[in-house]
Parts: sequence; C-alpha cells; structure tokens
Amino acid sequence: MKTYNDLPNDGGSDIAGQVTRQLSRLEERLKSVRHTVAIMSGKGGVGKSSITANLASTLAMRGNSVGVLDADINGPSIAKMIGVRGAKVDYGANGVKPAVSPLGVRVMSMDLFLKDDETPVLWEAQTQKDAFTWRGTMEISALREFLSDTEWGVLDYLLIDLPPGTDRLPNLVDLLPSLGGTVVITIPSGISQLVVKKSLTMAKKLLNTPVIGLVENMTAYVCADCGRAEDMFPSGNTEEMARQFEVPFLGKIPFDPRLSMAADNGNAFVEEYAGTPASRSITKIAQKTESFFNRKI
Amino acid sequence: MKFLCLECNTAMKFKESKTPEGGSLTAIFECPDCFGEIAMHMNPWETQMLKSLDVQLGGKSETAPPMQMVRSFLSDHKEGTLSSSHTPQPTSSTASESEEGGKCPFTSVVADAFQAQESEPADLVWTEEAKDRLNRIPSFVQSMAKAGIEEFAREKGIAKITGEVMDAARGNFGM
Ligand SMILES: Nc1ncnc2c1ncn2[C@@H]1O[C@H](COP(=O)(O)OP(=O)(O)OP(=O)(O)O)[C@@H](O)[C@H]1O
Ligand SMILES: [Mg+2]
Ligand SMILES: [Zn+2]
Repeated sequence: MKTYNDLPNDGGSDIAGQVTRQLSRLEERLKSVRHTVAIMSGKGGVGKSSITANLASTLAMRGNSVGVLDADINGPSIAKMIGVRGAKVDYGANGVKPAVSPLGVRVMSMDLFLKDDETPVLWEAQTQKDAFTWRGTMEISALREFLSDTEWGVLDYLLIDLPPGTDRLPNLVDLLPSLGGTVVITIPSGISQLVVKKSLTMAKKLLNTPVIGLVENMTAYVCADCGRAEDMFPSGNTEEMARQFEVPFLGKIPFDPRLSMAADNGNAFVEEYAGTPASRSITKIAQKTESFFNRKI
Repeated sequence: MKFLCLECNTAMKFKESKTPEGGSLTAIFECPDCFGEIAMHMNPWETQMLKSLDVQLGGKSETAPPMQMVRSFLSDHKEGTLSSSHTPQPTSSTASESEEGGKCPFTSVVADAFQAQESEPADLVWTEEAKDRLNRIPSFVQSMAKAGIEEFAREKGIAKITGEVMDAARGNFGM
C-alpha cells in the first residue's frame, strides 16, 4: 500500500499551495510599500489609534504618501479618527480601494465593512461558540486580506494600528517578515509600564523586529487657563525604561482634550491644532521615524 | 490529507464539495482508475477551520475576488458596500477535470439528507397537514424529502410549508 509520501498531492485541493499563494500575493502587493510600521502597546486605551492617526497625518503633511491599516479587527477606530467613517469601499480590478482622508492618507479598516455603529464584528459560523473559537484565525485571515487585497499603491509608509496586547505582533510578523519596525506606546502609569515591558521583550528579543522607539502618551495635563503642566501619572519613568531596553525614546505627548475632540470629529489634530505642545511632540515623533529609516539606507 | 484507493493503490482525486445545512462540509473524492468514490464529511468545527484559513477544498481559482474571506464570512456587513460584486461562498464546487463519468447521483442527495437530520433550520414553518404528509413518507427517505422540500421553499422564498408547497416541490425533484 502506498504511504502518504508516495502520493503526489492531496488530490487537487493543494491546501499548502493555497496558503503559499496567499502569502506571495501579499508580498507582491507590499513591494510598492517602502516602510511598514506597527504601532503597539501592552495595555489598551493608551492612545495607539490616536497616535497612529496623527502620525499618519503628520507624515502626509510632510510630503510622504501614507497608508494606515487598522489591524484592530474587533475594535476598529481609525476610520472615525481620521475622518473616513462611512466611506464606501470600492472594488477595483486589482483589489479594494482604500478610503482616503482629507490629507490623502489611505485607510483600510473593518469599520468600512460594518453596517453601523452598533454592529459588532461577527463571523459566520454554525454557532456563536464556534465563531468565538475561530475568531483569532478569522482575524488573522482578515488582516492578511487587508494587507494583500487593498490597492495601496506606492506608499512611503504603511502604519499598522495593532489591537491592545502582545499577541497580535507575532501574527503580523508571520504575515509580514519584512516589518520595518514598531513604535511602542505607553502611559506613565506603573501598570502600563509593567505591561509594555512584555511588548518590548516580545518585539525585540523574541521576534527580533526593530523597535523604532518608545512613546509616552498622556504625560501631563496642560491647564487650559494657566498653561501649567501637571503630571497625570506620577509613578512611571518611560525614559529610564527605554534606556534599560536599549531602544530610542521618541517623546512625550501631553494630555490634551482637543486631541480627543478632534478625533471624535474626524479631524486631524496635528493640522487643526498645529503648534500645540501635543502636536509638536507628534511632529518630532514623525521626524524621528523618518530618520530611523533614512539612517538605515 | 491524502486519499488512496486501496483496490487500485491509486491516489484519489478531489471531485466536488458540498456545504449542506448544519455547517458541515462534504468532499467527494474519486479514484481515477476504478471511478470508485468516497465522501468525506467534515463536522462544522473542521469546516470552520478551513473557512477561517480561507482555503477551499478542491483548490481555489487564481482569480479569487479581493477580500473574499471578509466579504463571505462577515455576518452583518454594510448594505451596498459589498453587494455590487458580492460573491457568496459557492455551495458546491466541482473539479473541472473530472466532470464526466463515475459520479454516483445519490451521493450528494444522501449527503444533504444526512445533514438535514441533525439541523432544524428555524426559518421554515411546517403546517400540521404538511407534517402529516411528511410522516407518511417511508422513513428512510423522509429526511431526504424534508431537505429537498425545504431547499425548494427557500429557493422560492417561501416561509411556510403547506401541502401545495410539497406538491410543487415534488414536481421539482421527482418524488
Ligand atoms: N494625548 C491625549 N490627550 C487626550 N486624549 C487622548 C490622548 N491620547 C489618547 N487620548 C484619548 O484616549 C482614548 C483612547 O485612545 P485610543 O483609542 O487612541 O487608544 P488605543 O490604545 O488605540 O485603545 P485600544 O487599546 O482600545 O485600541 C481616546 O478617547 C483618545 O481620544
Ligand atoms: Mg485602538
Ligand atoms: Zn480505484
């Protein structure tokens, strides 16, 4: 009797080949993207999406062609923050056309596929229990499709807004071995800093992906009346942590309620409030990101 | 997974797949020498695994539409966004090179019936009269008939199965 290895293939399904072709389609697509940057954190709610949106707008204002991939498949928020919510997705011959923000940032997000605000991301499955079991795999497939089936065109930067936690980065690196680097966001609270260390270890030591640097968000509250800066979380020391992990420190972004307001209205904070401390800080982070890549070439 | 025809010691070839009700998947493989066939039934869990990897039994055409996975399996997507070129997952795919010969006409029906027994789709209502009539059909074909009638009703957009619907369905599949 013939054994497994005696048989030439799996009878016509070629499952292995299908997976290989998926990945080469992705590789082909990303040939026109110069730099891919993942924005990550340990804890949720520290400002990844806000910073991704504003970093993208800043890079675009500085003359780069920029794309943003919302890799938070379950909790997409980039589309709203960057002002393309409700845009219609068009299917071109070569893929799906991304939504384009007023500053020219090309955006792909699950949000563009959902019916309305209340609609959660649910995958078709026989039972919701099944859907839950397979959710992770579905999300990775969706992420792969977003990367490979979006008509990104020629991009200088593709920013990827990751969901909270450390577990998505390995998946992304599987799909995108050429990932240019990660920007790691934390807030100066002890707990956030504890968790972000795990992210740094994951990125740097386990996956060997370049860390562009560490950003401290919501550093201080600037009083709107007197302009005095007050620390919001006194406990952590992000700069010290950057030194400890031997990664660049990219800057501190103060807490500014207008950042949140601009995002709610779909406006680019960095454009609307150019010159504010938060905006200047984001511009510096954009510059440091550019020089991270330019130095390498 | 590979399949071997023990009789001929030949690798079996994928012939077609079906996705009957109940979330399961049936793949039919055929021996190119003796045309013997086997059906592999995958349970909903195994089927979901294939879905989530976005691979298809029997291979996938090179010209798969963009974002096929997201478009096919996102439960509740935006109206209009996807409809223009929305291509639902095919419920049946056939390997092109083995179109002719050797196909058991019953395999697929049996496979459907097999599934119909374990799933009770909630979207269709049977009137008492229709239920009675169904019960009078010999038990070994009952589930097959039930599946056939329900499929017919769904195709026609009928929500309630009555005697008339059964008559019409009968004309449709020669019962
Ligand atoms: N520097 C800041 N000043 C004021 N508000 C901010 C600042 N950074 C973020 N926010 C606000 O904090 C909230 C959380 O931010 P955001 O959604 O960007 O975080 P996230 O890390 O992407 O969250 P998640 O982990 O859920 O994806 C938002 O309402 C945002 O507007
Ligand atoms: Mg976010
Ligand atoms: Zn045989």
